[in-house]
Amino acid sequence: MAKSKVKHGFRLTAEDVVFNIINYTIFILFALICLFPFYYLFINTISDNALVGAGRIQLLPKGIHFNNYIGLTRINGLGTSFIVSVARTVIGTVLMVGASALVGYLVTKQEMWGRKFWYRFLVITMYFNAGLVPWYMNMSMLGLTNNFLAYIIPGIISPYNIILVKTYIESIPAELEESASIDGAGYFRIFRCIIFPLCKPILATIAIFGAVGHWNSFTDSLILMSGKPELFTLQHRLYTYMNEATNLAAMIQQGGSDIGNLATQASMNMRPIKFTVAMATVIPILLVYPFMSKYFEKGIMLGAVKG
Amino acid sequence: MTATQTVKQAKKPIDFIGYFLRIMIIITLVCLFVPALNPTHMSELMNDSDSFFTSGISYGGIADAFKRAVTKGYIEQGVLVRTYVGALTSLIGMAAMLVGCAMTIGEIKFKRLGAKLSLIGSAVSVAGLIFVKLQQSGFTNAANPERIKPLEPVGAIIFIVLAGICFLLSLLYLLKLPKAAKEAQWVMEGQYRLFLMMAPFIVLVFLFSYLPLWGWRYAFFDYKPGQALTPDNFVGFKWFTYLFQNAATRADIGRVMINTLAMSGIGLAMSWLPLAFAIFLTEIKCGPVRRAVQTITTIPNFISWVLVYTVAFALFSSDGFVNQFLLSTGLASESTDFLIGNDGIWLKMYLWGTWKGLGWGAIIYIAGISGIDQALYEAATIDGAGRFQKIWHITIPGLMPTFFVQFVLSISNILSNGMDQYLVFRNATNTSSIQVLDLYVYMLGLGKSNQIPLSTVVGMAKSIISVILLFSANKASKAIRGSGIV
Repeated sequence: MAKSKVKHGFRLTAEDVVFNIINYTIFILFALICLFPFYYLFINTISDNALVGAGRIQLLPKGIHFNNYIGLTRINGLGTSFIVSVARTVIGTVLMVGASALVGYLVTKQEMWGRKFWYRFLVITMYFNAGLVPWYMNMSMLGLTNNFLAYIIPGIISPYNIILVKTYIESIPAELEESASIDGAGYFRIFRCIIFPLCKPILATIAIFGAVGHWNSFTDSLILMSGKPELFTLQHRLYTYMNEATNLAAMIQQGGSDIGNLATQASMNMRPIKFTVAMATVIPILLVYPFMSKYFEKGIMLGAVKG
Repeated sequence: MTATQTVKQAKKPIDFIGYFLRIMIIITLVCLFVPALNPTHMSELMNDSDSFFTSGISYGGIADAFKRAVTKGYIEQGVLVRTYVGALTSLIGMAAMLVGCAMTIGEIKFKRLGAKLSLIGSAVSVAGLIFVKLQQSGFTNAANPERIKPLEPVGAIIFIVLAGICFLLSLLYLLKLPKAAKEAQWVMEGQYRLFLMMAPFIVLVFLFSYLPLWGWRYAFFDYKPGQALTPDNFVGFKWFTYLFQNAATRADIGRVMINTLAMSGIGLAMSWLPLAFAIFLTEIKCGPVRRAVQTITTIPNFISWVLVYTVAFALFSSDGFVNQFLLSTGLASESTDFLIGNDGIWLKMYLWGTWKGLGWGAIIYIAGISGIDQALYEAATIDGAGRFQKIWHITIPGLMPTFFVQFVLSISNILSNGMDQYLVFRNATNTSSIQVLDLYVYMLGLGKSNQIPLSTVVGMAKSIISVILLFSANKASKAIRGSGIV
């Protein structure tokens, strides 16, 4: 459109200028609103803790130091939570991607025994849900409470991702597979040597969404791991720290002034530490973000196709 | 090829036993996951919801319940260890049966090996089960039977019978199967090989998506955590009527439904916002600025609700950024904690949802706009159409199908707001306005009140209504635009 304007010799009218100014302003403002909170958290973690406690850090860091980040190692349980979060993200994502690729391939094979039935059996699970309590009772029946495997095993199968892979495989020319099968390759060999490498773009997409989901999830940790704090995820830790703050704040409002003063003081001292924990959980996302963004559009557009 | 074909023709008369054997093995394995049939459940101390699989796979499954009993000397540790060894042996046997079962769908050589495996497996399994059964005396004759409260699980007999039948069938199968010809190969038909590759995933889907439905039975019992479901505490539809008859519960449900519908309603009423965001974003002609805005506004979608809450806390709590700003500029004389209290909580929740999801929700429309034929715009420009006329007559009609699908999907999700957001923003002062259905189900069932049956009923109703909504939406979509959404 920009080109056609030049070609036809149109000039920006006064109306266009006003429109552009308003439009640019609104979008840049919204982008700043999206970015500022992270910046604000960050400057509060690297500024002088006394100033942070007094609420003196607003737009620029003062008295820069990194002791809060070093201090993270001294918080009990945070290290194990970090390991748990990383482990579930890596193992869970790898297994989910592998399973989605294999199942996505298998359901494209017309000759499979009962293919139609099993495919429906799988896809229909996207549309119903037993509810939270039956799910919890089921997990406990399977021995998956207070058990690290609870983070991994239920997430292996993701019908939505399987549909994405299946649709992608269907777009690969069938001749590739046929020629390999004539050369005597078995199903698994075809999958490993031909289908899997060709599916890498879509697998990268679902891997990113899977990894972000694993990294960010905290309700499963909250509900299933109540008896084993060493299996809490990082998000769950942050939730408990933040929850303490909320309770303190509620106490300030409801309780007497004595409790109030004590609580305020405690919460003030905790502020930089909490923000540092928050930064530690958000930094991994921000670091991989530039690599992820190119897969967004592809993923969401493929998601628009139906099973 | 000819060899396999002749085998195929010859197998017909005996395949009946093969089918029967496979079905029996599968029934046995399914019983592994039924808590009521747990043969190791020989004391009331043990958890009623543990299945044989749970008890057999880890020692803790059996022993955890007896920690105190063992230290107090009520029961010998040895009894527990032997029970566990028996259960584990039996499970290993059953694993062999499973492998054998899978093999019997191959051709003759596979069939023979499969039959042998399931023969050995079922023998091992029966032996393990009998060993478990023998430990019964250890429980009944425990030092302190009142504390141990011994039970005689009916499951032990059932499992011995099931595994015994599998043993006999495997034996029969093996005897009836013809000897494999010397030139016979290890072959299995492609359709079965594919199915076997798929089978583990089918099991996972069953375990984590279908088996939870079995938990709906809690809705019909007067269940308290740790108790068994027995005919005695079966209450029929008591909890369903309780929901409407009990005034307090009725009031709760009413309040929760209003919150749920209000928040979903705000979302529905504002569902044009991502569309507008996409349209006006594409009106930014400066490429780098547009891409930067798009990238930055998508970031919040990738952080968890806990982090969103942390952000909210940093900005809006009583000593957060906003209050500091207002105080330092003199716009406010004292700080207010914006996260406390009921005021405008629906709107606040919507705004946080928008902060997190707007940029992300717009991507689908941005992609849709890039798919619209540019010639339409050029023709319109030549005809003298202005910016807003082009938007109104070309872009919006082009995006309508996508918008429609999104809108219908959000109607069918009207009861499912999710619980993460409301859980993290909830506190003692705003519970009454923030509690949506998902959060209510969580707090009712797994929170302090622990009302498992009632929570199951509410969850059940929600699931069923959601499915009905989805399929009605699908029907409506078919009627209006000729194609469904699911």
